[in-house]
Amino acid sequence: MNQAPARVVLISSFSGRYTGGVKEFEVEANTLYDVIKALDQRYPGLGEHLEEETSVAIDGELYEVGYAQAVRPGCEIFFIPKIEGG
Amino acid sequence: MSSNTMARDEQTLKVVGTRPVRPDGVPKVTGLARYGADFSLPGMLWGSILRSPHAHARIRAIDTSKACALPGVKAVITSADFPEQKYEFVGPERVAVNFWHMTRNIMAREKVLYEGHAVAAVAAINRSVADAALRLIEVEYEPLPHVIDVDAAMRPDAPLLFEDMITRGVEPAPKQPSNVSKRIEFNLGDLDAGFAAADEIVEMNFNTAPVHQGYIEPHACLARYDSDGQLEIWAASQGHFVVRAFTARLLDMNIGDVLVHPAEIGGGFGGKTVIYVEPLAAALSRKTGHPVKIMMSREDVFKATGPTSGSSMTVKIGVKKDGRIVAADGLFKFQAGAFPGSPVMNATMCGFAPYNIPNVRSVGYDVVCNRPKSAAYRAPGSPISAFAVESTLDAVAARIGMDPLQFRLLNAAKAGTPTAWGPKHAHEGYSATLQALLAHPAYRAPLGKNQGRGVASGFWFNNGGESSATVHVNEDGSVVVATGSMDIGGSRASMAMMAAETLGIAYDTVRSTVADTGSIGYTHVTGGSRVTFATGIAVVEACRKVIVELCARAAMIWGVDRDAVVWRDGCARPADANQGKLEPLSLKAIAAKRAVTGGPIGAEASVNAGGFAPGFASELCDVEVDPETGSVKVLRFIVAQDVGRAIHPSYVEGQLHGGVVQGIGWALNEEYIYDAAGRLMNAGFLDYRIPVASDLPMIEAILVEVPNPNHPFGAKGAGEVNIVPAMAAVANAINHAIGRRLTELPMSPPKVLAAIDSGPQR
Repeated sequence: MNQAPARVVLISSFSGRYTGGVKEFEVEANTLYDVIKALDQRYPGLGEHLEEETSVAIDGELYEVGYAQAVRPGCEIFFIPKIEGG
Repeated sequence: MSSNTMARDEQTLKVVGTRPVRPDGVPKVTGLARYGADFSLPGMLWGSILRSPHAHARIRAIDTSKACALPGVKAVITSADFPEQKYEFVGPERVAVNFWHMTRNIMAREKVLYEGHAVAAVAAINRSVADAALRLIEVEYEPLPHVIDVDAAMRPDAPLLFEDMITRGVEPAPKQPSNVSKRIEFNLGDLDAGFAAADEIVEMNFNTAPVHQGYIEPHACLARYDSDGQLEIWAASQGHFVVRAFTARLLDMNIGDVLVHPAEIGGGFGGKTVIYVEPLAAALSRKTGHPVKIMMSREDVFKATGPTSGSSMTVKIGVKKDGRIVAADGLFKFQAGAFPGSPVMNATMCGFAPYNIPNVRSVGYDVVCNRPKSAAYRAPGSPISAFAVESTLDAVAARIGMDPLQFRLLNAAKAGTPTAWGPKHAHEGYSATLQALLAHPAYRAPLGKNQGRGVASGFWFNNGGESSATVHVNEDGSVVVATGSMDIGGSRASMAMMAAETLGIAYDTVRSTVADTGSIGYTHVTGGSRVTFATGIAVVEACRKVIVELCARAAMIWGVDRDAVVWRDGCARPADANQGKLEPLSLKAIAAKRAVTGGPIGAEASVNAGGFAPGFASELCDVEVDPETGSVKVLRFIVAQDVGRAIHPSYVEGQLHGGVVQGIGWALNEEYIYDAAGRLMNAGFLDYRIPVASDLPMIEAILVEVPNPNHPFGAKGAGEVNIVPAMAAVANAINHAIGRRLTELPMSPPKVLAAIDSGPQR
């Protein structure tokens, strides 16, 4: 598997609650599943929180969290509060 | 009202972008459309709800015996008829649901927390008996001090709604309880360094009133709980799957045992993404064995359903003399109402989002107080923070002597601009809305005496998410499209149009429907400007599956390989001349052969649509102020919004007009007026004044189309961002007209007059 490192960033409220304040990570991944799995291994339980509570911005493009979402080489991934509207 | 469309690209589209007759028009104008209150069943009972006369009180006891004894009464319920819920916030942080709160909102338990809070409900043979029974229910209250205003609710000595509520989002956690449910903060860059580098700094305080969504149709539903444990609900909502999930949870039922039928909806604007009467009607039906209908009155709607939040805000912005913004600081305190959950996080994220600002801090507080729990309202939170930010920007532009549109254009976010909440913008669109106004002759049109002109802009995320659609080919070749998206803004038309475009057939051969929760896959609410994007993708995917099947059927008819058939212009055609001379097969011709080629033709698609792109809007407003009365007349309004692509431009223009109208009401008239005891004094449309046609000016809608490449036709979503700039645009116009800046909504005549009489500004 030819995995590429991605820069993963959590907002402060997530990092404060789940990672002891660590906000940025480098993760080798081809899909969002790889990213979530890697973060969950470092912080058990974090993956479920990310799946349920966040939307994700990959190089600025906004997505609902989905395992199959492709992760481009060297991309920037922000987990942000899930988006809802009126 | 008028509109024009800008910058269509070269893509050849035959249906998308046209303006066919709306499919919901005739039923709505002839009275045939069936709304939540229009459903009845044999043996049906009427439900009525007893509501609290107090803003804040402990419930000592409830005696329902006299009510139960009244002839014609079949059941009385209180909170004791609903299971207790676990105290936990579940789901996304921005819109987290706590069912411990939700069950207390639909029926008070230990305390009533606002006037109008439901305390008990009755089912009886008719409404008059039910209402008479309410008067026989004896509730022993212990009145408590109450608090309405957000700043007052945050004071250390404020009456507490929840004696054990500790503010979330503060480290270390406070030791004392308060009415502050949550604190949030987003940061970018170095705020102190940014302000130190500024040549000019403007800091201002703002207040906004809570305003109701003002939908014309009050909440209503019919529920039937059968002896086999199956529950059916007929209700108008913005998401019948959410009605199903919440009702099942509050009644401790399996989701699969609840079937919700979507009724036609008479407006929602976010306020019908939650439930109020459905679990009560269902509980009464379960207790009586009869169907039960509940209809709210307008007074009920005002007193017991969610407005959006009122707020107290401070915004500080620093600029260089050349107009570049170098720092921005925002403090946004929002009223959540009686239970946590205001849209303050949206406000903190959206307020500065249209701009390229290197140093930002955006802080928000979610604060409970003794008024109905807030609910979503059109771009929830964003219009409130935009009022503060865009008013301050106007003052900054004036301070440095710069044209307010050019000032915004200089600082406009583009693809690659970082946001305070983390990711960089990925889409263009904002600058085009500013340029549309700059190019408009109205921007340079002369103004008369006492007249002023204001501009403002706004941002909204739009959304994607989970949607399902089915596409079936009928025996005669016509097509039925069904989705799980409640049609609140024209989605039946837009879904039919996208299906017709994909299949290559005429729009009037496609019938578009909304399926009940038992007939289609899960579909999230009609909200967040998500349906045209997400459900549209589901429809197009289902159509593409149907096309694959149609080509396979044609190949079978022709006796050629599947790969030798293509679909073009609504017909199956041989892929190349090697297949021999074969006449194209229309959808009608293939449908006629459906049985011998394998049976009915159809497909379903379910998606979790990503790649949604935000919406930007910029607006221009001209007003005339009467210096004798303080009355403000809006003379002209222009809204330029990036919609990606307008599937049905008339519906999209309607969205822009609607957002502006609601924004004008929010700006000039709408507010809740409470007496000293915390009772709402204007719970009706005569006294809570939403705009009517005679209050409104010419509204010109400019559809700026910068397509979203992640949607088959470029749609971004159009329903919400149009309301975001409106109040600031009006405020900036009033400031231009009278030389006084109003910082408190609504800008009603007494406030305008007081501002005029207050003497020169600054």
